[in-house]
Amino acid sequence: MMDTNQYMGMFLEESREHLQTLNSCVLDLENDPENLSVLSEIFRSAHTIKGMSATMGFTTIAELTHEMENILDLLRKGQLKASHDIIDTIFRCVDTLEQLVESVASNNESSIDSKPLIIKLKALAKGEAVLSTPVKAEAVSIAPGASSSIELSDTEIAVIKKARDQGMQAYEVQVSLREGCLLKSARSYMVMNALDEIGEVIKSIPAVEELEKENFSLNFQVIVISGSEAEKIQHTVLSISEIDQAVVLPCILPNDATGEIIAPKSIEPMKKDDEAERAGNVLVHTQTTVEKKNKSGQSVRVDIDKLDTLLNLVGELVINKTRLEQIGLTHKLTDLVETIEQMDRVTTDLQAVVMKVRMVPVGQVFNRFPRMVRDLSRDLNKEINLIIQGEETELDRTVIDEIGDPLVHLLRNSIDHGIEHPNEREEKGKNPIGEIRLIARHEGNNVIIMVEDDGKGINADIIKRKAVEKGLISQGEADAMDANEAVRLVFLPGFSTAAVVTDVSGRGVGMDAVKNKIESLGGMVDVETKVNEGSKFKIRLPLTLAIIQALLVKVSEEIYAIPLGSIDSTINIIPSDIKTVQNKEVILLRGQIIPIVRLADVLNIPDSDNQHTEEELFVVIVHIGEQRAGIIVDNLIGQQEIVIKSLGKLLAGIKIIAGATILGNGQVALILDIGSLIQ
Amino acid sequence: MLEKSYASSEVQLVVFKLGKEEYSVSILQVQEIKRITDITRVPHTPDYIKGVINLRGSVLPVIDLKKRLNLPQQVLTEDTRIIIVKVDELSVGMIVDAVSEVMTIDQENIDSPDVVAGSVAASYLSGVGKLDNRLLILLNLEEIIGVGQETKVV
Repeated sequence: MMDTNQYMGMFLEESREHLQTLNSCVLDLENDPENLSVLSEIFRSAHTIKGMSATMGFTTIAELTHEMENILDLLRKGQLKASHDIIDTIFRCVDTLEQLVESVASNNESSIDSKPLIIKLKALAKGEAVLSTPVKAEAVSIAPGASSSIELSDTEIAVIKKARDQGMQAYEVQVSLREGCLLKSARSYMVMNALDEIGEVIKSIPAVEELEKENFSLNFQVIVISGSEAEKIQHTVLSISEIDQAVVLPCILPNDATGEIIAPKSIEPMKKDDEAERAGNVLVHTQTTVEKKNKSGQSVRVDIDKLDTLLNLVGELVINKTRLEQIGLTHKLTDLVETIEQMDRVTTDLQAVVMKVRMVPVGQVFNRFPRMVRDLSRDLNKEINLIIQGEETELDRTVIDEIGDPLVHLLRNSIDHGIEHPNEREEKGKNPIGEIRLIARHEGNNVIIMVEDDGKGINADIIKRKAVEKGLISQGEADAMDANEAVRLVFLPGFSTAAVVTDVSGRGVGMDAVKNKIESLGGMVDVETKVNEGSKFKIRLPLTLAIIQALLVKVSEEIYAIPLGSIDSTINIIPSDIKTVQNKEVILLRGQIIPIVRLADVLNIPDSDNQHTEEELFVVIVHIGEQRAGIIVDNLIGQQEIVIKSLGKLLAGIKIIAGATILGNGQVALILDIGSLIQ
Repeated sequence: MLEKSYASSEVQLVVFKLGKEEYSVSILQVQEIKRITDITRVPHTPDYIKGVINLRGSVLPVIDLKKRLNLPQQVLTEDTRIIIVKVDELSVGMIVDAVSEVMTIDQENIDSPDVVAGSVAASYLSGVGKLDNRLLILLNLEEIIGVGQETKVV
């Protein structure tokens, strides 16, 4: 057997991709059962999975996809109607396939039983295949494990027996040529030749002369004696072009007991995957996909680690460039400064390109949601229309990988708690079909993702009451809150309003987990709601996590970086502007009370010798969500692009430091985590 | 050129000074030795963590080894060095008073650390090497750097 290990990664990746395609296409099919191009797409994906898994030796996957393909084929030929039952079964197949693929990924011997599904698929195929032509019915019934049925003459049996004594095997090879194959005789000749090379052909049906005269439809059978494995024979045959399918079965002699065949296991039909040829042959069906392919253009699969390395290197370059800039400025070298300006443009472009390379459309995350919404709404007997917008909006790969779970939480919440049951909606005079919008769009240097539903909204009073009951806030605090503040309580740890804890949501771990996750990505989440009109969860995410704009500030002798994204403004105040409210220092800015954080105190910065007795204080006004604070620093150094570096495992866990960066002079400066700083 | 081959029972040690005592770590754990550079203090860390430095573009934590071992402090001198060691995929710098030499010692001459009841907690030591009249204290870096156990954040 060939060494398949090196192809494993590719197999997994491509299988997952095709399963995703299957999921979304079957959804489309459900909405539009007559759509042939969707069907073809499904067929192709299933087919590719089958081919790949058979090659890799994952027979369970191959078997299941094979049965699936039979159904799909009947659908495509119009011999079956895409009923609910069929769609559901196909969905279940996709789920099972997903599990199978994942069990392959985790290297577990899978305990997943695909038998019931296969039986179901077969039943579906038979049940309604009555309409089908005899040829097709036959094709469907070729199931793995079936054995040859060719009648053999006594001499042939004797030859086979003799071969068996010599440790060889007799196989029946069922070959199907591709539809529209022009040189049938040539192809059959090539098959014969190829088989002759690895064994001895003892019989063919129809006979060789008939084959040469093209006196056959598209199928013919060959009995071959060979010492090779069935797989090898199959591969040999499939390596010839215009062969659609090759089934290799062990030849069973009349007096063989069917059960105990010494013969190697039969392998099931495997179709050759040759997209280009196929596209040419079945133009009508594939048009849409061909277009799609052109759109995506040429691409290369790259390991994300390599991109990370590339990004790191570009980061180094940016650091060194800044360093050179400083040297040029300190020594007033005009030539150097000019050259660096040139270099600056190049590095900026380079950086932009690398960032772009790492960008992935959010559609990659979104595309699994339609299926989820469908399943959930069915389980809950609700009717929900999911509208997705802006799926082409791009985000950094690292963000994409992390954003899935929070979105699942939000969507589940909307489906479970937000959207009402159809009759309830009708009573309220709403459209019985609920609507959830999942929208992504750019906004400055951020990407906004919104989950909006037109459900019952969040009742601020109920939230307040619950929060007080759970001891999260005091009655006094609750009374002082306005509706907006109250609704935000849902983000507190341990909060859940669901009267019934369902399987879907309501365990009270959801929303604060969502908030934490998003904040760890440097983003924020907020909620707006109107009772009986719906809720809107808004997530704001930075485009990238690796290089950011920051304001460098100085406290005593130490330099810190504050991410520009969380800075509102910088102001100068005099010490008497600082008031004390409940033992907390605050300032008044444009009518708003803003708490003050003295960086020197929070970071235990040792006092420098020159005690600052200045009249003026620099305050950086920062915000996280709606929360604002003023950070008092000694000096503002300026805005700079910084590359975020991790502090490493040893220093992980320091909350108020988000990371470190290297300044132009080679010094390390720490990046402040505004979120934990102002809490 | 003369090539010296080492028997497998021999180990090479990087010997350095902390105050007047001589300490050592296996050369296999040492990545490089650097002169002292700018160290950025990191707030809210244990006091023996001196801060972080920039080592060719990566940010590396630096430990004040004497503080870690509870030895009396001394001012930085011309001889002060940062030894960069790698323990379990984690690179860390350690400040030492001076790096003296690299020497080869036979395993047989390394005793268990119990022999020296000294100022340093026994768990930080992995052995004592005897060479002529010198005593070399071998450090247990895993324990000193505290890999695996979360550094307590004050």
